[in-house]
Formats: sequence, C-alpha cells, structure tokens
Amino acid sequence: MNVDIQSLGTFNQLAHEGAEEATRSMAQMTGIDAVVDVTKITLLNRDDVGEELTGREFVGVQFALDGVLEGDTVLVFDADSAGAIADALVPGDSADEAMARSGVKEIGNIMMSGFIDGWADYVGATIDHSPPEYIEKSGADVLPDAPTDADHQQVFVFKSQIEWIGESVNFYIYMLPEYEPLAELMMEQADTEDDAIPIDKLQTFNEMTTKGTQQAADNVEMMTGIPTDAEVTQISFAPITDVPKQVGTETYVGTVVEFTGTPSGYLMVLFDEASAVTVAEAMMPIEMEGDELTDQHTAAIEELGNIMTSGFVDGWANVLQTSVEHTPPRVVHDMGRAIVDPLAAQVGQHQEHAFIIESEMKTDDIEFESEILALPNEKELREALEALDVERANETQADVEQIFE
Amino acid sequence: MPDVLIADDSEFMRNLLREILEEDHQIVGEVENGVEAVEVFKEETPDLVMMDIVMPIRDGIEATDEIKSNNPDANVIMCTSVGQEEKMKEAVKAGADGYITKPFQKPSVIEAIEDVVPS
Repeated sequence: MNVDIQSLGTFNQLAHEGAEEATRSMAQMTGIDAVVDVTKITLLNRDDVGEELTGREFVGVQFALDGVLEGDTVLVFDADSAGAIADALVPGDSADEAMARSGVKEIGNIMMSGFIDGWADYVGATIDHSPPEYIEKSGADVLPDAPTDADHQQVFVFKSQIEWIGESVNFYIYMLPEYEPLAELMMEQADTEDDAIPIDKLQTFNEMTTKGTQQAADNVEMMTGIPTDAEVTQISFAPITDVPKQVGTETYVGTVVEFTGTPSGYLMVLFDEASAVTVAEAMMPIEMEGDELTDQHTAAIEELGNIMTSGFVDGWANVLQTSVEHTPPRVVHDMGRAIVDPLAAQVGQHQEHAFIIESEMKTDDIEFESEILALPNEKELREALEALDVERANETQADVEQIFE
Repeated sequence: MPDVLIADDSEFMRNLLREILEEDHQIVGEVENGVEAVEVFKEETPDLVMMDIVMPIRDGIEATDEIKSNNPDANVIMCTSVGQEEKMKEAVKAGADGYITKPFQKPSVIEAIEDVVPS
C-alpha cells in the first residue's frame, strides 16, 4: 500500500486549513485572536499517542467521525485556561459551570465542524460527526483511544496547535482516523506513482528508528551510568516552515551533524541546559564546581552527541546494507528554533515538506531528557524505503568479530 | 611498554583513552585528524595506532590505508562510534587490525590491544 508525498502534503494542508477555519470561527464567537502555530501528520506507536500531554490537565470536546473518514477527533486546551476561555465565551456567566461547559461544547462544535467540513469538501463525500462530548481529563487520557487494528501497531495522528496571541494558552486539535479508511483515502487521492511512499515500509523504518533510539539510550547509559530509556519515536510530516516549531523556544545544548548516503540529511542531538550539565558531569572523572556549562562540559557533550548519532543511524545503514557517513559533530548552544531553522532552510532548498524523525529519551531518577531529531532528504528517504528489505529489519547490529575474523 | 598514537578529533575521547592506556603504554602522540595521524606515524613509528573514523580533514579509514600501504606491519585499531557493517568492511580493506566501538570500557580496550599487540 503506497501513499505519495503530494497527497501527504495535501492532507497536511487540509488539516492546517481546517485548523485555520476553526480558529476563525472561534475569533468570530469570542474575539480571541489566535493563529495556527503548527500542523503535522505523525506516524507513531499507538501507546505513545499524546505522550507530549503528560502531566497536564485538559478540558475540551470530542467527536466521533463516520463516512469516508472514520475515527475520532478532539479539541482540547489546558484546564488552567478554562476560566479565561469561558470568560471570552460567556462574559459574566463563566462562574456558572454548566453555562461554561455548554459554551465550550458549542464553540467546540462550531470550530470542529469547520475543521471536518474542509476534509469532506476536498474528497467530495460526506463525513458525519457525532454531537460534541465534553471531556475533562489528564494527559493523554484526554484523547480518544487510538484505533485498534491487529495488523498495524502504529497509527497516523493529525495534530494542530493553535496559539492564543498574547496569552500563554494553546488549543490542540487531534484527529485519530481509522487506519484502513485513511489509507484508502490517501491512495485514492494519490495522483502520481513517482513519489510514492510505501506505508508499510515507513512503519518498518519507524521500528528501526526505535531500535536506534534504544541503542543511543544504551550508549548514554554506558557512558554516564545514568539508566536511560528510549521513550517515543515517531515520524512526522510537516511543511518546511513548521519544522523549526517542532523544537521548543527554550535553550538547548547539543550536536548537529550532516549525514550523507541513503538517506542524507541532518541530525540533531539536543539536551536542555540542565540535562546537558547533568549528563556531561556524569561522564567526567572529576566533580565540577558550580552549575555553569564549561568547555569541559561541552567537550563531553560533543563526544556523547557523536556516539548517540552513530547509535541512531548505524541501524539504518546495516539494515539497508549501505553506509551512512556523517560529519564530525558541531556543538550548538542556542534557542531550539534557532538551531533547527538553518537546517530546515537547507533541506527546504529541495522540498516543500519534510519528514521529521523524532525520538525522546529520559530517566525517572535524575533530571535528564534528550531529543534526537533527523531531517532526511525526502527523495533519498523514499529511495531508502524502496530499497528496504522488510525481512532484514532486525539486522540493525553488525558483527564485528565475524568481519575481523 | 608499547608505543601508542591516539588519533581522535574529540579531546574528551583522547583524554579517556590516555587515562586507560598510560599505565601500561607509552603515549607518543595525540592527533585530531587523519593527516596528522599519518605525519606523526612517520615520525614516531609507534607499535599501535588507536584510530577514530569520523575526523575532520581526513578520516581514519583513509589514514589507515596510507599507513598500512607504506608500513604493512603497522598495527591499527579502529576506535570509533560507527557500528556499520559496510564501514567495518572498509576498515578491513584499509588494513585495520581491530575494531572497537564506542562507548567502550577499559577491559574491552585492553582485550582488543592484546589481540593485536600481545604483551
């Protein structure tokens, strides 16, 4: 089963326009000035859906979809913002909980109708949705269960983030379609075979990347003694302009390499500043004074980034029976988006959209989080997927002793 | 006590290798790229080179190829983060005598050296 880049781009555009329509509806009803910050399509393990919402309380509305697109969609926002939003919705009555809930349901209904109608118009068919159901839950529980499918452990999720300008309030739209109807819809919309991506191989590639992330996490643990686990691995598809927004605005320390081969692209290993200090000091034989980032910390991060990069990409090379070269790591210390922006610009010289391979690793005991982001060249990733022998997907490790016998 | 040349662009890794090796080995040089590795090898003719692969200016496989072409008896252990089968085959072709993948611990380094340069 194939999907072409063009239809992925179109579907992303549909989700983005739907989110913009929803935002316009909200502005008309409430006067809230908001913009769609980012829209992306993500392929990830069913159990990892909504991981980024962990530790936060949400309220919102949920709808079931039926027709050419089946599944569920939600519009949610932080529970802490509920008062401000209710005030904007029902001025003077926000203290009336029933009225506030009713207002949230109605605005959700109107916003999401705009979101869904755009899809129906594009495919020229009907997509029905259920009446809005008010939801109030924690973390990923606020999302509907990802569609179950015995044949596919991974699911496509459409995510849009809407930012209330001037307020630290974000709205999130998640659409979790059933796999088969979505795949059929994508195939119907595909109008060229030239840039087709085999979906099953994309899933296999995602699984290989999960193994690469675990290898990178094992390398961190071996170098630092900090027990580290791979958390989430996903492949997202987004316009180039949205790529820098995948990373937060906080300051990161890490490494950037350019890799060449099939595929080529850029790979970043990023730590927040506190994690960078923690992990670098765990690698050092002597205890450092103060909590500032020194040249010694940076040298340790440079080598760790190098080793994590290799752990991440070697599996691709071994499965594909090729070599993926990478440059020596360049240390970066800047705002996340400032690190990613020039790399996205480089990749954007050849393509309008990008696949973003994202991995996270963390540990429970010590303050430590790390992200790995890869931006492969779209054409070469497609060639790599074409060459991918699914039967070899587990052959991520090379046997040194056998080769040097 | 065998003479060892360390070629790695990472200061952190050079320090780590020096700490592991200096008790039982004579460190005759520490260099940051393949060009310097070839030059220092010519000057010092060490018993062993611990060679990184990914280095600026000239990578470790090219440097190994030149060293081994001119000195077939030279001993070179690739000491690298790269764990790719194709790259290991390139290292064998260039004449590498051993291959250690980072991250490593002292026993694996000592064992690899013992295989190549028995004490």
